[in-house]
Amino acid sequence: MPDSMPALPATPDEATRQTRIRLTINDTPHDLSIAPRRTLLEVLREDLSLTGAKPGCEMGNCGACTVLLDGEAVYSCLVLAIECPGHTITTIEGLTRDGQLHPIQDTFVQYDALQCGFCTPGQVLALKSLLDRNPHPTDDEIDRGMAGNICRCGAYPKIRAAARALARQQP
Amino acid sequence: MSTPKTHLIGASLPRPDALGKVTGAARYPADLIRPGMLHLQLVFAQRPHARIVALDTSAAEGAPGVAAVLTAKDVPYNAHGLIDADQPALCGDVVRFEGDKVALVVAESKEQAEAAAKLVAVTYEDLPAVTDARAALAAGAPLVHAELGTNLLLHIPIRKGDTARAFAEAAVVLEGAFSTSWQEHAFLQPEAGIAYVDEQERVVIETAGQWLHEDRRQIAAMLQLPEEQVIVRYAAIGGAFGGREDLSMQHLLALAAWKLRRPVAMQWKREESMIAHHKRHPFDIRCRWGATREGRITAVEAEVIADGGAYASTSVEVTKVATLFASGCYEIPNISVDGYAVYTNNVPCGAFRGFGAPQAQFAAEIMVTRLAHALGMDPVELRRRNIYREGSLEPTQQPLPEGVSALPVLERCVEEARARLRYGEPRESDVPSAPHLRRGIGIACGIKNVGYSFGYQEQSTAKVHLYGKAELERAVVLIGAADVGQGAHLILRQIAAETLGIALEQVSMVTDDSGEAPNAGSASASRMTLMGGRAVHDAALAARAKWSAAEEYEAEAEVQFHPPATTPLDPMSGAGRPNYCYGYAAQAVEVEVNTLTGQVRVLRVISVHDVGRAINMQQVEGQIEGCLAQAVGYALLEDFQVRDGHVLTPYFSTYLLPTALDMPPEIVPVVLELADPNGPYGARGVAEMPLVPFAPAVAAAIHDATGVWLSQQPMTPERVLAALSAMNGQSTAG
Ligand code: FES
Ligand code: FES
Repeated sequence: MPDSMPALPATPDEATRQTRIRLTINDTPHDLSIAPRRTLLEVLREDLSLTGAKPGCEMGNCGACTVLLDGEAVYSCLVLAIECPGHTITTIEGLTRDGQLHPIQDTFVQYDALQCGFCTPGQVLALKSLLDRNPHPTDDEIDRGMAGNICRCGAYPKIRAAARALARQQP
Repeated sequence: MSTPKTHLIGASLPRPDALGKVTGAARYPADLIRPGMLHLQLVFAQRPHARIVALDTSAAEGAPGVAAVLTAKDVPYNAHGLIDADQPALCGDVVRFEGDKVALVVAESKEQAEAAAKLVAVTYEDLPAVTDARAALAAGAPLVHAELGTNLLLHIPIRKGDTARAFAEAAVVLEGAFSTSWQEHAFLQPEAGIAYVDEQERVVIETAGQWLHEDRRQIAAMLQLPEEQVIVRYAAIGGAFGGREDLSMQHLLALAAWKLRRPVAMQWKREESMIAHHKRHPFDIRCRWGATREGRITAVEAEVIADGGAYASTSVEVTKVATLFASGCYEIPNISVDGYAVYTNNVPCGAFRGFGAPQAQFAAEIMVTRLAHALGMDPVELRRRNIYREGSLEPTQQPLPEGVSALPVLERCVEEARARLRYGEPRESDVPSAPHLRRGIGIACGIKNVGYSFGYQEQSTAKVHLYGKAELERAVVLIGAADVGQGAHLILRQIAAETLGIALEQVSMVTDDSGEAPNAGSASASRMTLMGGRAVHDAALAARAKWSAAEEYEAEAEVQFHPPATTPLDPMSGAGRPNYCYGYAAQAVEVEVNTLTGQVRVLRVISVHDVGRAINMQQVEGQIEGCLAQAVGYALLEDFQVRDGHVLTPYFSTYLLPTALDMPPEIVPVVLELADPNGPYGARGVAEMPLVPFAPAVAAAIHDATGVWLSQQPMTPERVLAALSAMNGQSTAG
């Protein structure tokens, strides 16, 4: 054996131990058996095929994985799935009701607030969380509220325009 | 028969693919991964230069879940590249940068593949590494590709007139030295994909890229298969910006699927993407500019050196573009520029939005403003006197292609800057309450080619099928054009519908399968609207003519569009016709410099572009705004650091990208429509141009605010502070 070979256990026990949890996602309960170290992002994408939350960095730096946890925007790559039972999880797939776009989604389309669209589910949910807290944000509050969601295509001006339009529509 | 007008050209229609993108339904490459697929994990070299002495895969092969460990010996033809095939898919003898790949582990799960990859035992003998482009050119430097006998990948001289005499006669001669750094594309969707062998024995790769048919060509060559046996399909593409032009993992997915005859999947982590795919070239530029008292720029001499990294990629073309634009968008009678592309053991460099133009014009535009100051002339006036006009000779001694709008673009920019920024008026104190905040305004111009250059056989092909009865009811447009987020599919569809005189909804598009759609060429060089659009336009006209003539219920036509030919540059003088189309830009920016922290905030940007004709105005604005976001990052923020061949910034926590808070609060895109002679409805490209004048405009604004010139990109707070304290030190010492 060459010296350079690292001594690693092939599959640590931790990784295979399964925990049973119930997650309520988009109003639907799911009973799952998962390894405790798995993130909410991984479980959404791999176990539930809810791929609207995107892996952009998996380190809490980009916002592509944003979901709502009890209405608050969180990075699902930084949340362990086992932290989530008892909480309400909303993903982008849960925003559309009976085939009707949520007003934020519709406004994003009308204002062309996206290019490649990879950041878009996260942007839409971050804006929802912002507007739910603060229905009439100033431009500065919009930018601060959205600063955790990177758009590398730079759709920022049009995202801001969409946010302004929505703020105007709110009662 | 006359074609009814549908008024689709210029209309800000919403993009049809937006629906899937706002609902999460759109499938990006990683979303295609299904249970039962094998997972791939690469073993990266993680060292800049070394010989592989031994490669032992037995432990990894025996690890749980492992189906195979592939190495160089498993690759039928182990070399790929867009221009030179000089990059191994998997390295067999030497590794040349830290992102080189030495083995590919295939396992039942992602975790098993990752665990087994750590068991691949590679014994290296480290070799001396060369990680500086100038050092790489020195005699006795370690060789990146020993068999070449040199690290010089390209030397291109451009000679025009007599610079020695011009400098001797010039009233003002200024010297400059500039350096620019790497830039990372950071498309938000990291590389991912799946591959399988279908029932017709074809290897199918579903991933993201910028050019279906070029990916196919390189993969087929690597597997030694006929091109028809390789199918490349693009899923939704999460940004590209030039960063998906080179193969990254497409060929490795194909290799594993072909060898194992099972569906395979791979998804890179961000840090894998950061170290493994190519970057924007760092440049080192030294130059000398001379002008007469009357404000004629008479001479430019420059040495332009690009660090190409370990493999050729598109370095040769990028360097030629930078060499061509080392004198900016000005007609200068005496030019002597030498461009060099150099191999080093750094990360390879290649295409990135702007393709050599931003680096060259960072230097050129700063030099023009400095010359104006030295002459006591308004920087706009100096530009006006020298800027390209219709018929101006390029540095390559040929007249510019028709449609030269540099001057009207500049004039409009100045007009807007006067109206919106009060440019040219004496300024009262900047921020009375905070004397450490200083404001300034800068203006710069830019030029960038549309389409491929230097004699490349440029083409784009589209096919149009028409169906109906008495009336034309439906059209299907086939064109293998990548929509990387720029909106190409909607643009092409608008052009087809307008040309056929039918509604947008009556046109459907087939765009994402190399086996079905013809070759549009790449989504790069700001070319898809002009090239792909023109192919669609011409095919639609041809199909329509057949339809009318035959009175059939079906008609089809395929057209391959060729723009006016370009030529290679003469190896001694650089003479030739480098391009068939240019895009012209001018920007005015207002910045606020914090003289205590060195922080620069861009407050307002006016960005003026001649797009020939906007096909979809909203998307044109989106391209300008989005490109400006990347320009803000390039000018001020994005500091990709490499030390001794190791990337120090492989995460988004260390490589900082602009957020909503970094964007200028006010961006004014101004779109001129001075028809291009070749583009469909007169359209030409715009996607790259906003990146060209921005950094030098910011540098000029910083100078206007504080009196210091920055000559290194990015203009980070540390560099601004250092320049300020050097100036203050000088003034106290003096
Ligand atoms: S993937 Fe979670 S923040 Fe980037
Ligand atoms: S639309 Fe591409 S990253 Fe935001």
